[in-house]
Amino acid sequence: MLLLAFRNLVRRPLRNALTVVGFAVAVAVLACLSAFGHGYRRALGTELDRMGLQMMLVPLGCPYDAAARVLKGKTLENSLPESALDAARHDPAVAVAAPLLMAALPLPNEGRADLWVGLDESALELKPWWHVKTGEPWFSGDDSVILGCDAAEVETRAPGDWFYSPETGQKLRVTGVLERSGTSDDSLFFVPLHTAQRMFQQTNRLTAVAIRLRDPAQLREASERLQRIPGAQVVTLTEMMGTFLNLVGAVRTLLFSIALVAVTVSMLSVFNTLLAAVVERTGELSVMRAIGASRAQIVGLITTEALLLTGAGSIVGIVLALTIGRGVENLVKQFLPLAPSEPLLLLTSTSLWQCAGIGAAVGVLAGLYPAWRASRLHPAEALKAE
Amino acid sequence: MSRLFVLAAGVLALLLAVVAWRIIESSNSPEIPFEPKNRPPPPAPLCPWREPEADLKLFFPDATRYELDTRILSGLRLELAERLGRTPTGDENALHVYRIYREQTPRGAVLTRRAKGAFGAIEIVLAANTKGMVCGLRLQRLREPESIAVALQNPAWLRSFDGRRGDRSWRPGADIPDVAPEARASAEAIADAVRSLLILLAASDESRSQRPMATRHH
Repeated sequence: MLLLAFRNLVRRPLRNALTVVGFAVAVAVLACLSAFGHGYRRALGTELDRMGLQMMLVPLGCPYDAAARVLKGKTLENSLPESALDAARHDPAVAVAAPLLMAALPLPNEGRADLWVGLDESALELKPWWHVKTGEPWFSGDDSVILGCDAAEVETRAPGDWFYSPETGQKLRVTGVLERSGTSDDSLFFVPLHTAQRMFQQTNRLTAVAIRLRDPAQLREASERLQRIPGAQVVTLTEMMGTFLNLVGAVRTLLFSIALVAVTVSMLSVFNTLLAAVVERTGELSVMRAIGASRAQIVGLITTEALLLTGAGSIVGIVLALTIGRGVENLVKQFLPLAPSEPLLLLTSTSLWQCAGIGAAVGVLAGLYPAWRASRLHPAEALKAE
Repeated sequence: MSRLFVLAAGVLALLLAVVAWRIIESSNSPEIPFEPKNRPPPPAPLCPWREPEADLKLFFPDATRYELDTRILSGLRLELAERLGRTPTGDENALHVYRIYREQTPRGAVLTRRAKGAFGAIEIVLAANTKGMVCGLRLQRLREPESIAVALQNPAWLRSFDGRRGDRSWRPGADIPDVAPEARASAEAIADAVRSLLILLAASDESRSQRPMATRHH
């Protein structure tokens, strides 16, 4: 029966190929969405865990935007008073409070900006990936700079070299070049906090304070106390993760609706293809009935054709998802509030089986009516026409 | 019909094999949740040509188009080492040459290179005529202090490179005009980069007839 169904399908190669392609696109969209849901949650969790901090003090304004900009290595328009750092360090629940001052010097000619980060030694406790490739692991003085590995390559700098900031007139000595971390640190220029404050005329000001607690269970109490610091607001990474997942979840629901429409349209396409095949083969099916084929066998034949069509579409769709997944990921990353460096598309065998299952279910559904109609054909009626 | 069946079965088997391979590959990827992954470092970024239109007007005012010609020079390392007087660096294994044309007539080439200045990278745009001689030089980006930047961007100093080839001596102060002492290190880096580019261009042109390379039209 399988061979017969296959032969029936290859009799109309173009029509059936188009149906398969239509179904494949719908399955590819479904597979990518499913993979993105799993991948984004996992990558975001990994990215936030890797930071080794539980909350951030940021200037007043939208806390999630501020925290996302800081985590992405971007600057803020507002700043915090340095007194917020002292207040945070005096809180009994705080184990580490690391100040950050970020400044961007736009280079319109190059379509990018030089990103400078001022930090003190407490930052080392929150950056487990801070390893120098060459040179010293920390600043040797106020006029020293540590470069991310990409920044060092682009600026052709090595430890011991001079490095100059034309915009601020600051001459610095390169003390170290960081190992590649896969984070935004790779393209940053790190200087001591007070040097950054002097360079960018931000005396006693900070962009953010990253905080690690002695006991994460104290998050709520510590958050309430730190929220009272004037000019500052607290954003916890759990809240950030929840907010990002909610944002992405809303978009995902919308996209799933579109994918559902695509699957429905492709199911109608399969239905139409099979119905046309049944109408075209009325005589043939009647002869089959006349020479002894049972109704169940006719239903089985048409259902097998439907399953072959959707099965081929599912396979092509999954291959398509695997092939174009990385391109889709790169496109999606540009629109995310916080795009982790981890892969966002996680195509698991479970999601692939789910897609295959949906393909089979759609095949059976789409084949029901054409199969029923084919099984109801009367042999005498068809033979009369012959 | 049976041939078609075998063909379709083959294609299906191939697709299944690809799916299986990707699933196995993705399930084998290591996951270390609390440590960053060490990714293989990408190659050093090539120096871009930032203002092609302005440079074309400056160096080749009658040019109508240019195309990117990528030459692989790793097969010429011994010859290049001899001509450069040093071991070629990793980024000298390939040379991006922007070939300049007026309609179909070659007018010369533009090359870019990042030189190691005293205070940061200096990006050079070098124009060479069809004989491989310098016909223009511009510093498209530099990070030097004002006094050094002024000396290096002095039009007279940049023009002193005009007409030079890679086979000559290039010492600032002897073969090319001297600059202020604080700018000498960066000036030497620029001179070395220009000379290296000319040597690489000459070597690539000499080997050009051996194997055609990919080109991109603009």
